[in-house]
Amino acid sequence: MALRASIWAFCLILMATFAGWQLHGGFTGIDADFLSLIGRENTDPDKPKSNIETVRHLLARDSQQAIFMLSHPERDTLEKAASEFADKIAAMDGTQNITLPGRNNDRFADLMALYGPYANGLLSQSDHTRLTNGDGDALYRRAIQNLYSPATTLSSQSLKQDPFALLPVFLSDLGSKLGSGNDVIARGGRFYLPVMATLSADLRSTGTDPRWVKGAKAALQSIKDMTPDLTTAKTGQIFFAQAEATRAKADVQRIAIIATIGILIMIGLVFYSPIPLLGALLVVGSGLIAGLAAVILIFPTIHVIALVFGASMIGISVDYALHFLVLRTSDGSPRDRLRKIKPGLSLGLLTSVIGFSALSLSPTQLLAQIAVYSVVGLIAAYCSVLFLLPLVPARDVRASSPIRKLHDLLQIGLNRTFSTRPTRLIASTVIIIGLVLAAALIPGNNDIRQFGHGNDTLISDAREIADILGLGGSSTFLRIDGDNAQSRLQTGEAVRHALSPLINDNRLGGLIGLSDLIPSIARQEENRLLVTHELYDRFGAALSDQLPVNITAPTMSADYLVPDERATMILPEIDRLHSGNSDIIRLRNVMDIDAIRAAIAPINPVTLIDPADAISAQFSQYHFWAWVALGGALCIAAILAVSRYGLRSGICIFAAPAGAILIAVIGGYLFGIPQSFFTTMALFLVFAIGADYVLFLAESRNSNHDDDTRLAVLLSLISSVLAFGLLASSSVPLVRDIGSVIAIGLVGAWFLAFWMTAPDHEQGNTP
Amino acid sequence: MTLLRRLIASGMMAALFGAGVFSCAWATEITPPAKINQDQYLRGSFTMERYLAGFDKPLRSNGDFILSPTTGLVWRTLDPFPGTTVLDDHGITRIDDQGNRDALARGDQFRQFVELISAVLAGNWQPLEQRFDITKSTTADNAWQIILTPKDNTAIASQITKITATGNDYVQTIQLEKPSDDHDDIILADQGLGNLPLPPEFAALLTGTVK
Repeated sequence: MALRASIWAFCLILMATFAGWQLHGGFTGIDADFLSLIGRENTDPDKPKSNIETVRHLLARDSQQAIFMLSHPERDTLEKAASEFADKIAAMDGTQNITLPGRNNDRFADLMALYGPYANGLLSQSDHTRLTNGDGDALYRRAIQNLYSPATTLSSQSLKQDPFALLPVFLSDLGSKLGSGNDVIARGGRFYLPVMATLSADLRSTGTDPRWVKGAKAALQSIKDMTPDLTTAKTGQIFFAQAEATRAKADVQRIAIIATIGILIMIGLVFYSPIPLLGALLVVGSGLIAGLAAVILIFPTIHVIALVFGASMIGISVDYALHFLVLRTSDGSPRDRLRKIKPGLSLGLLTSVIGFSALSLSPTQLLAQIAVYSVVGLIAAYCSVLFLLPLVPARDVRASSPIRKLHDLLQIGLNRTFSTRPTRLIASTVIIIGLVLAAALIPGNNDIRQFGHGNDTLISDAREIADILGLGGSSTFLRIDGDNAQSRLQTGEAVRHALSPLINDNRLGGLIGLSDLIPSIARQEENRLLVTHELYDRFGAALSDQLPVNITAPTMSADYLVPDERATMILPEIDRLHSGNSDIIRLRNVMDIDAIRAAIAPINPVTLIDPADAISAQFSQYHFWAWVALGGALCIAAILAVSRYGLRSGICIFAAPAGAILIAVIGGYLFGIPQSFFTTMALFLVFAIGADYVLFLAESRNSNHDDDTRLAVLLSLISSVLAFGLLASSSVPLVRDIGSVIAIGLVGAWFLAFWMTAPDHEQGNTP
Repeated sequence: MTLLRRLIASGMMAALFGAGVFSCAWATEITPPAKINQDQYLRGSFTMERYLAGFDKPLRSNGDFILSPTTGLVWRTLDPFPGTTVLDDHGITRIDDQGNRDALARGDQFRQFVELISAVLAGNWQPLEQRFDITKSTTADNAWQIILTPKDNTAIASQITKITATGNDYVQTIQLEKPSDDHDDIILADQGLGNLPLPPEFAALLTGTVK
């Protein structure tokens, strides 16, 4: 026994060292991004992406941007401060590039080089309308004026490619479509300037995002200290995720510390000795360490919700310790005592492992992490009970213990509720039917917007930046599918045509799509034809007279601008407007979503996608799946119970955790807790702990340690409710909901475990 | 890509800056050009020859202009085709011979630009030094000459490689050299200061509605 204990202790030390090294060394990141909760289904790359895949792709891309807004009453001071700030951000690891008004000036030459050769096929909407209406004369006069104007981008090259100066107007029009965002804005006696940072794609996966956020905040503070009257705001997914992670980590620490202290006090009040505390700590600690080490070993980053859940594992693993520690020293040697509880302990572990293993089948990485954490953690706790606890000197529960007295009082009360087996069988049937009905009838609410806490300062900053600079804000978009790039571009043009009236009457702030940057070949052909007929044919000779060179009409067979690699290199924005085999149209300031839906209805294949709705719909699917998985786990548990305890007793024993789930569902509904995918997953925990309770009691029924087991189950309940009750106090709504549901369910599990396993002689009101 | 409008505006502004700098460049060692007070304006005529690489003959135009530190610059081409370019607090506006207005660029950045010219006109070198390397000298006929080379990473640098201006009491010649090997030669004449308000025909050009 000593050898096995030594080996196990060595393993635990190894796991603790590994986990500490990974976390403190920054090799494993803490992830608080809700995007991580979305599944990563493997699909055929040649097929159109699903809505949720497109959302993930776009949001992941958007998450690489951080936006800062600096403001000062004096423009020069603001620009100087912004420039210094931008330099600091640019120098930070993880910053890919910086966009700042006044920089990136060499881009103009690149744009002219890209668009110049195709200028005769690129028309602004206003020029297109003028030419369609036969008003080429205005464009001719504009071209003439452009030749002699001091404010012109005219060059020898542009004159050859674009003698009618159509391209500057096209580009200016395109700038309007793209919206503001790179200008200094004046409002209310202050100037506002955006500094936009593009972050490295691997910033989050390498776990260096906290460092980047810390550096950015330090840079902001530094520039504020150096510049009196400078105010700043910032937005970007990285800031929200970090704020959420910090809050969740603080919650975890608080919950873990308070729950541990509470459990230690409880054990102290039972044994009047610190030695059982050591035993409980050994089991709880080994569960936490092993679970954490396993998650770190398997996953590159740990989601904060998995951490929170991991901390709550204290509530389960302590059950195992208590189950052993409450046994009387008069029951024999440690090995004898262990032998008494081992069947119940093993069955409890088996049931929990089955329940939590079902989580690992989930397509979300978060639930897989919780599953790994729970399964490995509970197995480690079980091993510690087997190998380490027998070495801890035993102490008896004191008769004068207030918790012992509470237990005795509760037993008297519970005994009064006991019923006959037929009654219990009827109740079991009602529970099973009720559970099916509850799962089917209680409405689910998987709106992702309710899960996060949100940071008031960041929300306020984001609103201010959206209001003043028009950046950030709405993430609603349209997805255009199609057989080939040209058909998608034509669809994009049809969408713009359909939505332009909504922009004009402010029901839509604006939109930008790939076809705005690269018109379809069909549109370029139409433009080229229009330009030839309405400008070159009519005014070409007259314009030639003013120039030292003859101009010739464009050739219809000449190449057209297409969204190829070169275009993407010069226009990186193309990447934001493309996802897989779909084109994306991004909408700004959506004021009337129904009008947009109606306007695009006749255009196929176009899909209006709100990321929050798409993610919520995905979680609704997972929610359904979770109920199916839970049902499967319950069926396996029912088979196990019936095969071990016989049909009638087996049904009653199975009905205890099933009833706990029902109580958790109905209780949560009555308390207004949204029935989400996550609260349904929390029911797995209710099931696992409820199964422990009833199995411990069933295994010890009619034995001489029955009373000890009852006390152990009560102590388990107190510790579990303590842990999960504290989760219910979390500031993160998702964690709070999970904790509340579990706490409600466990109280039900405790009662039903006693009620369903009541000995036959303890019927009616007989104590 | 949100830079597009700004880039176009920068190009136009750079060209205008070259034109606007005509009355601000002087050397401390020589007689500076006449200063324009806040309640004054400068008026004159111009001849501009635009040399485009690969073309034998320049594009020649002439007209008149007016510059006020408080309201902006009006550049009125009279020949060979009438047309006006206005730079004021609101941006760059082009007005054709039929009075149609076309906003080429808009934005608060132009207020700063007008302030820049005005500051220079008031004898303040600071704004120019931030954006240009400045070389001052004297020509053979005892006129001052100033060469402005845009500093790297400024908006003007991508549009203009060098500005050379010469003059006495007023700027007389300006040459703007561009990265494309094109250059504009501007000759200013008939210059003189007047007191505000602006002549009505110019004042009207500054206040019209953009179409």
